[in-house]
Amino acid sequence: MADPLFRAPTVDLLHVCPLDDAFTAIFHRASGITHLLVSPAPEILAALADAPLTQAALRDRLAAAYDLADADPQALAARLAELVEVGLIDAA
Amino acid sequence: MDERQPPADEPRAEPANRRRVLMLGAVGAAAVVSIRPALAQTAGSVLNCEIPVPDRGRAGSFIDADGGVVAPGTKGAFAPPPRPFKGEEVKRALTGSQLPGTSYESNRAYVNYIRRLQRGQGGFTCFASLQMPRG
Repeated sequence: MADPLFRAPTVDLLHVCPLDDAFTAIFHRASGITHLLVSPAPEILAALADAPLTQAALRDRLAAAYDLADADPQALAARLAELVEVGLIDAA
Repeated sequence: MDERQPPADEPRAEPANRRRVLMLGAVGAAAVVSIRPALAQTAGSVLNCEIPVPDRGRAGSFIDADGGVVAPGTKGAFAPPPRPFKGEEVKRALTGSQLPGTSYESNRAYVNYIRRLQRGQGGFTCFASLQMPRG
């Protein structure tokens, strides 16, 4: 079975507003729901903004942009599952 | 030498050896709290979020009086509560009420634990949300 691709909404569907060091507020126009995110969720959304990625490709993309202090695949899977659950990304 | 100066016409970039560190966080931690429109005014979803004590990765551990997580059975420490606390319960506890099902001492230990939560730990997002001013 192919690995699922995770897809973020296009930029025009999200209104992203960093609030302070810890929080980013994201208004999802399609659902009308505002989400408060802490790292690494905003970074994951940004990494998926250009094109859908598998979890492994996403991990590589994040590792290219940041020093991953804890590159735990289960933790990344948990963050992705959480973003899918609240409707900020799709898995296909 | 890796301390070369960028050319004047190049935008200042972070040197490669000073990249931002990204923590993926613990498996049981939450990185998102959603505020649904119908509840936005009362921030109901924030108050209904949950703070496990301790977080799921350390379930079963005891909490000492300072809020530290210690081995089960540690003398003077408190057994974890049977269920996570609701944001609303924690909000009240932070203003002087007692968490449900706690004694004076265990309440103080659990509140100390919650106050010491760090980003990436289960319940941090919920706890931090409780601090945010609301209109």
